[in-house]
Amino acid sequence: MVSDEAKQRMRAVAAHYPTLRSAILPALHIAQSEEGYLTQDALESVAEALRLNPDEVKSVATFYTMFFKEQPGKRVIKVCTSISCYLRGCDQLMTHLEERLGIKRGETTPDGRFTLLTTECLASCGTAPVLQVNDEFVENVTPESADTLLKELNQEIDSGLPPRRQGQPNGAAATGNVGARPAKSDKAGKPAKSAPASGKRSE
Amino acid sequence: MAQPELIITKHLNVPGMDTLAVYQQHGGYQALEKTLKAPFQPDEVVEMVKKSGLRGRGGAGFPTGTKWGFLPKESPKPRYLCCNADESEPGTFKDRMLMEKNPHLLVEGVILSAYATKVHHAFIYVRGELALAGRQVTRAVQEAYDAGYIGNNILGSGYDLEVTVHRGAGAYICGEESALMESLEGRRGYPRLKPPFPAVVGLYGGPTVINNAETLATVPAIIKNGPEWYASFGTEKSKGTRIYCLSGHVNEPGNYELPLGTPLRTLIEDYGGGVWKGKKLKAVVPGGSSTPFLTPDKLDTPMDFESIAAAGSMLGSAGVIVLDEDTCIIGAVLRMSEFYRDESCGKCTPCREGTYWMVELLERLEHGHGSEKDVPLLLDICDNISGKSFCPLGDAATSCIVSSIKLFRDEYLYHIREGRCMVGPGALAPAAAHA
Amino acid sequence: MPEEQPKMLTVTIDGRTISVPEGTLVWKAAQLAGIEVPIYCYHPKMPPLGACRMCFVEIEKLPKPPQTACTTPVTDGMIVHTDTPLVKKSRQGTLEFLLINHPLDCPICDKGGECDLQDFTLRHGPGGSRFDLTKRHYIKPIPVSDNVLLDRERCIACQRCVRFSQEVAMDEEGLIMNDRGFKIEVSTPPGSQYESIFSGNTVEMCPVGALTAKNFRFRTRPWELRKTPSVCASCSVGCNVRVDVRVDRILRQMSHTNDSIDDGWLCDRGRWGFDYVNSQDRLRTPLVRKNGQLEPATWDEALDLVATRLQEIAERDGPDAVGGIGSTHTTNEEAYLFQKLLRAALGTNNVDHHHGLFPATTTSTPGQLPWVWTDSIAGLEKASHIVLFAANPYERQPIIDLRIKKAQRAGAKIYVVSEKPTRLDRLATLKLTYKSGQLGAVVQLLLSILVSQNLTRGSYSDSRVLSERLRQAVAGASNSEIVAQQAGVDAEAVRALAREIAGAKGAVLLYDEMATREEGAETLAADLFTLALATDNVGRRGAGVGPLFEDNNSLGARDMGLLPDSLPGYASVEDDAMQARLRRIWGEEMPKNPGLNYDQMLDGGVKALYVMGADPARHMADAAALEKLEFLVVQALALNETAQYADVVLPAQSYAEKEGTFTNTERCVQAVRQAMRPLPGPKADWEIITALGQRLGQDWNYASARAILNEIASALPIYSGLNWDVVSKSQGIRWPALPENIAEGGSPFLSLEIIQQGLPSVQEVAETTAAGD
Repeated sequence: MVSDEAKQRMRAVAAHYPTLRSAILPALHIAQSEEGYLTQDALESVAEALRLNPDEVKSVATFYTMFFKEQPGKRVIKVCTSISCYLRGCDQLMTHLEERLGIKRGETTPDGRFTLLTTECLASCGTAPVLQVNDEFVENVTPESADTLLKELNQEIDSGLPPRRQGQPNGAAATGNVGARPAKSDKAGKPAKSAPASGKRSE
Repeated sequence: MAQPELIITKHLNVPGMDTLAVYQQHGGYQALEKTLKAPFQPDEVVEMVKKSGLRGRGGAGFPTGTKWGFLPKESPKPRYLCCNADESEPGTFKDRMLMEKNPHLLVEGVILSAYATKVHHAFIYVRGELALAGRQVTRAVQEAYDAGYIGNNILGSGYDLEVTVHRGAGAYICGEESALMESLEGRRGYPRLKPPFPAVVGLYGGPTVINNAETLATVPAIIKNGPEWYASFGTEKSKGTRIYCLSGHVNEPGNYELPLGTPLRTLIEDYGGGVWKGKKLKAVVPGGSSTPFLTPDKLDTPMDFESIAAAGSMLGSAGVIVLDEDTCIIGAVLRMSEFYRDESCGKCTPCREGTYWMVELLERLEHGHGSEKDVPLLLDICDNISGKSFCPLGDAATSCIVSSIKLFRDEYLYHIREGRCMVGPGALAPAAAHA
Repeated sequence: MPEEQPKMLTVTIDGRTISVPEGTLVWKAAQLAGIEVPIYCYHPKMPPLGACRMCFVEIEKLPKPPQTACTTPVTDGMIVHTDTPLVKKSRQGTLEFLLINHPLDCPICDKGGECDLQDFTLRHGPGGSRFDLTKRHYIKPIPVSDNVLLDRERCIACQRCVRFSQEVAMDEEGLIMNDRGFKIEVSTPPGSQYESIFSGNTVEMCPVGALTAKNFRFRTRPWELRKTPSVCASCSVGCNVRVDVRVDRILRQMSHTNDSIDDGWLCDRGRWGFDYVNSQDRLRTPLVRKNGQLEPATWDEALDLVATRLQEIAERDGPDAVGGIGSTHTTNEEAYLFQKLLRAALGTNNVDHHHGLFPATTTSTPGQLPWVWTDSIAGLEKASHIVLFAANPYERQPIIDLRIKKAQRAGAKIYVVSEKPTRLDRLATLKLTYKSGQLGAVVQLLLSILVSQNLTRGSYSDSRVLSERLRQAVAGASNSEIVAQQAGVDAEAVRALAREIAGAKGAVLLYDEMATREEGAETLAADLFTLALATDNVGRRGAGVGPLFEDNNSLGARDMGLLPDSLPGYASVEDDAMQARLRRIWGEEMPKNPGLNYDQMLDGGVKALYVMGADPARHMADAAALEKLEFLVVQALALNETAQYADVVLPAQSYAEKEGTFTNTERCVQAVRQAMRPLPGPKADWEIITALGQRLGQDWNYASARAILNEIASALPIYSGLNWDVVSKSQGIRWPALPENIAEGGSPFLSLEIIQQGLPSVQEVAETTAAGD
């Protein structure tokens, strides 16, 4: 069931738009955060909160790929398979994850721990190949770092921890990727030749 | 080599740059204060942006000031500004970086641009998948509200502005401006008919200005340092700097802010450290996956709108994707085409059916089951999509196919003849048995 | 009132130059020029979508050819080409795309023969396909509702159906587009069905065989159908239909667009509710009760018996021992003849039909108007406020529900005053509920608020008749809080509604005819009329008041005088001028005393009763009371409940087997055409009445319904401009239909003059032709 608190949040977010309808996507995000996917109840609660016909909400929800129709695993791993990651080995990474998890892309492990998905370009081409765990980035992933990542995620799940979140307000936006190679920061305007060979660069 | 001056990414990696305090320490919100306290009239700001020569960084490269000038002087309906931060063009990753690391710069750009266009409600449409970027921008907006940079009577100027951060939910097409508005209004992200153009009938039926995040993030520097200063960078028609997103088979992929007109070779060899593993260059996509391939003979092309167009491609979103000599061109094109098939909204026939059909054909070719008629067929399908689709996504889907056949026809024919790839790991595979 | 003339633009298409009004799309202009531009996603009743990419044309001086004709408005001097190599190739490209996953199962597809995909492929498509891969397959067909099935393989994703469901019908449980890209599909939302009384429109507008009607699948090929334009005989809206008949059976009804009435739509009741015409239960011979049993008889035997018995009883006990209950379904001509039979041949005013309870006109309105909608359906689009009192158009007059929704989309506010939930509640600005039996009190409360808050306005606010009504209302509802509490209604909401109606640019107040039968609503019609007058909501388009009638000819029955106190055309039975006119036409004297009404006749008031096209037993608490009648004649299509008690049953024809006119709820007279060969045996009601009239000594020799219409025109001032030729060539004519306003389609609304002074009188309108042609 979608909590009253969540419905409150839906209505609160709608106040930031000229029309209630505009809040469909934010409200669907809230609804999905309740149970991990969009249940009938979730869809109807969005319609109710925004005073819309449930049909309209349902049709809108199917257009956007981030909304799940079924219960996903506790950790959703999305591997980018678009061109830049493709050029840097995402297919091998995907195959590796499929083998490790014992499922194919698009599936959820029988124990309900992991869902493995492909996704389109995640705007992380400079640190390809890349994946997301519950919408948080893990960059420059190798088969080895993927193994470490899975191990950590399993520990997280066992300890009942919530999915990790990236970033504190200190500029360390893309550095919270435990288990992956340390992310390179972006090297705006710096000729690579004058920069340190690897690791985080300073201005 | 001289260190080029940085404009948008200047303080990007300063620790804490994503906080209001550090942003202010590095000159943040000075452009806004200057504008509102001078005060510059909105039209003067538009004039400055016009004079700076700033052109849209989303892909089309339309002059920003001119676009703002299309808004009607008076309108009965409220006018809106949308910041398009729905970054999803394969090979492009600049807006995400800006939002994650220096969200206040974007927010300041949004405020200034809204002021210039006499808008009192601005939206920042952040791609849904970019959760951290969404959080960072949301927080920056909240900090700006708290500091009086957004809200009623900003800095005592009498100017009021609301800023709403909107999170998408997974649809490339919503980067198209009219689909973005449709999505923002709570509908399926179908592109809208044009005309009317957003400047006349846009969001909620009101006049609307839509700009890419990088474009808006450039505005504070233009105001602060003057349009002449900004126009001193770049080329005659392509002024200023751009963030070039370098990815693929290079040693040092990443974002590089460089003056427009920097040669492709400089970016790839000097900044990107050259093609990886000592391999030779096979092809470059210069402006995100929707732009045609260029071959190594075009490496000295300056990366500005005009020169790249003259070389047979487009500067687009400046997502430069490098392919080394071992890359099977059909494999790469197949992967790029799958993207368009999956991201087509499905509204119009040519894009919906054509992208599906082309992927099927490319798959067959890649796996060695193609036939000679498939190549002219692919080209003709592209012709039936290009210019016939509802929105530019259809056209975009044909770029890689048409240009790859033009530049690498032999490789297509090799696949057909030999039943396997000409280069790369696939070349070692046994030929596929023809059905 | 003349509408503003649009600016005319010149456009040349393939060398043909035509002039079109500003705003015309290139597609429409081409159609007017006689040039086919193929379309799938575009539908003239919905905004352009531009999705299918089929309607390519090349327009000189416009960038980026080819352009889409359905999204481009004509500009003056525009030059369009529809046959260039680029246009041909582009259209071929689109068709090839549409066909790559299409099953090409035309030989077994119901749409085959009237399929736009088939037709356009033939005329504009490539000769073959270069698609040599495996087509996608889906489970098929999927029932999306009880009546409609979906074949996703045939679907070309044009979105017509979904846009209709979402944007026009605004269905609560409609069709949606699911998913996107090449996986896009028409669907119902998970866990729900397509539930809409308008669902059949999606089948009709589907350009391919993706949506099919369950009751039409595999029944025939479209080219085997005989198609006749006519009028739906279901409810009082009078939507125009095309009756599709194969071998003496109606197989379907399709919309036959009449913008002013149906706007191109048809409800499922109208579309599919024709089984009674094809039914095996139809009577094929007259029946006469012998030894307690109804036995087949010849027409002569039955008619002789009816004439003899009616005459006997009338002679024995006086003419008022005989009565007639007429029909709300039969044509105007038949209703007219029925009352003529009772009045002229039998000499009684005992004639009525089942209808709402309206108070006498004379005391209630300044112009002594009959209870009728003063505006029209299309006028709703011009209203700023639409207020429904115990009306539920979705259930009762469905296509008016669509027009109200259209008005709402254009900015009109909807108010629903109803005891029960209605389908429009969701779209209403305000919904007022009240306790059972309190509708009349709510309306009187509205009136008293008008007076107490000084909200009356307009030229009638001080008229004497009005003042009297208002005084009564104020007297009845002096303390609004107490009245509201008793009525179970929110007093503040009633006050708000009163203010809205009084301040409206144009308010249309509609009530269901049958709401007048509710307890406490005896003066509903008069009070609402007063409300409209007192707030100046009459006398123009987009403002008005009136009942929504029940059946296809409910209003026609009233117009024709199936009323015990009114002659045809609403003249009182005591009206000397009308009496004189009818005497001249009929060649008979007629009674001057008002007759017995419907309930009185059924409640033992008469000894002999003639029931035509009605089934009063359904409305009676105790139908067995019919047994007390000495003689009962029932004229019907099948053996209905009342006929079980009849002494003689006369088999009649349906609307599809005969000709005539119906008058819809907005006073619009329309031509009903014979669409099929009549069932052997039954006769048209007018033929039966004519034969009875002759047996009762009348020299009636009507050769056709058209001849009766001519007599109606000479008898009724409000029908005086009508004849078959005029009606059948028109899109319907709204009365008062005078010779001088026939060309404009009659009277779309009742003018201030009419409301003030009443309908054109017998003296004012010269008699047209003599009776009988």
